[in-house]
Amino acid sequence: MMLYQRHCSERDINDLIATAPESDALLLDQVVRFSTRVKSIASPSARFIDAWAVEQAGKPSTPFVWRATTARRLIATNALKRVRQGAPILDAVRAEIDEHLALGVRGETRGGSLGQWLSSLPQADLGIVCAEAVNWTTALIETQHMLGDAATPADADAYFNVSGAKTTLRARRDFTIGEGADRVIVRVRSGVPGKTAGTGLRTDLFIHALAHNEFAVPRRFIGLWPDAGIALAVDGTLDNLRAGARDIVRVCETNRRHQLQEVA
Amino acid sequence: MTTTTTAPTSVVAVLRGDLTDRPERNTWSGPTARLDLEATLRSVEHLALPVTVRTSEITHGGPLEGAGSASQLRGLLLNAALRLLVNGVALDDFFYDPLRAARSTSDAYVSELISHLNADQMARLEADVRSHVSTLRHRLGRVPSAWLPRTSLRSSVALGGGSVLLRDDVDLVLGHTGAADSHVGLLDITTAPLGAWSERLLSYHALVYAMRTHVVPLRVGLLSTATGELVTRDGTPELIATGAQNVISYIQGLAVQP
Repeated sequence: MMLYQRHCSERDINDLIATAPESDALLLDQVVRFSTRVKSIASPSARFIDAWAVEQAGKPSTPFVWRATTARRLIATNALKRVRQGAPILDAVRAEIDEHLALGVRGETRGGSLGQWLSSLPQADLGIVCAEAVNWTTALIETQHMLGDAATPADADAYFNVSGAKTTLRARRDFTIGEGADRVIVRVRSGVPGKTAGTGLRTDLFIHALAHNEFAVPRRFIGLWPDAGIALAVDGTLDNLRAGARDIVRVCETNRRHQLQEVA
Repeated sequence: MTTTTTAPTSVVAVLRGDLTDRPERNTWSGPTARLDLEATLRSVEHLALPVTVRTSEITHGGPLEGAGSASQLRGLLLNAALRLLVNGVALDDFFYDPLRAARSTSDAYVSELISHLNADQMARLEADVRSHVSTLRHRLGRVPSAWLPRTSLRSSVALGGGSVLLRDDVDLVLGHTGAADSHVGLLDITTAPLGAWSERLLSYHALVYAMRTHVVPLRVGLLSTATGELVTRDGTPELIATGAQNVISYIQGLAVQP
């Protein structure tokens, strides 16, 4: 299994996109076998698995809390759309925050939502949320510049619900180049890639294939770490898909073990 | 070119310079510096790995001694104030607004630092921070949204297969790397008076940015809120080479003699 490492530069990224080979096919039979395997690992409560969970080897994570750093991606992804329509970046981010705030204040959001959290913050804290979201929006704008006009900002992440297994798989994406089995997917991440970054990319690749209505496998999945100036990529090969599937099953097993230990 | 000024020009305007007189984007100095550093790493013997290089190692040869809770808090609060000012938040209170903002990002750390201060030290810190933030606000100037201002940007560049890590924090980055001309300005804020170390800091910021993005910044600046002085350096190939040489000297100094 090949994990490509390049610099996070315009030339290297476009080279990774241009040289992406054709992907292998994911057959319905293989999807059914994966789903059956996940279903066989019973879970009393809903399971939510993404690349992060796989990178952490399924270790129980601390409960999610809103912070400026956890809110920035959601705000920035929508702010990018406003920026592409001509809005100045700060106005775009503020408009997004205002929209969530308005929902929160009017009580039109569910408990624990971003809007509700934002509406509880004083002005200074909102300023930091705005600063983090501006940073992330700018990272997306710089990525868009590198990828060119062929890259489409993603509207939403990819989800796949393993029916009857109380399991939802989620794969993040920030830009897509091309469509169907011809597409290359790009995800922007913060910090420095760890030793398990390749595992995370294979998980994202596999979930994206599952979430496609024809199980079309992306030609390549690229992870960008602008803070470290590093790009990592995996191809849409059967080996990578198998590894992605195997790691998800392992996380299900680890979760199950932890649940049993908690009960004991 | 190095410029030092206390003139009442906006710091942001100095960093961005004349829009009609910008050099072409330099995308080769960063990779060249990386090659030089990688070659040096291969030639240095008896180096205890891994090595993490931070700005304090480049400017003062190691972690800053005697950097007490008050001075750390002062830096944290000034950084928080910068983030608020750049993002258009009107500061009602020059001490409590930055304190609130700093707590929202690192509450435990801020509380830990505050717990080391008695009432007198806290009062001195409050007066100090108000004065620094006032200078910052006066000198900074308006930051247009079109210049894509980002605050508190952290970088981490790995060399030698990850055995050497260059870490850097820049307080304010303006512009983006996608433009055809040199477009990016970096600004660091310090609560200390400027000194000989300032030049080393500027070249280190430029080096890490150029290695990370492959684009050399147009200009790098350091503003002292203690004196209001601003020192800037143009992002030239020489500046990047100087930054690389400073890192090489530091790493060679770490080599243990058998």
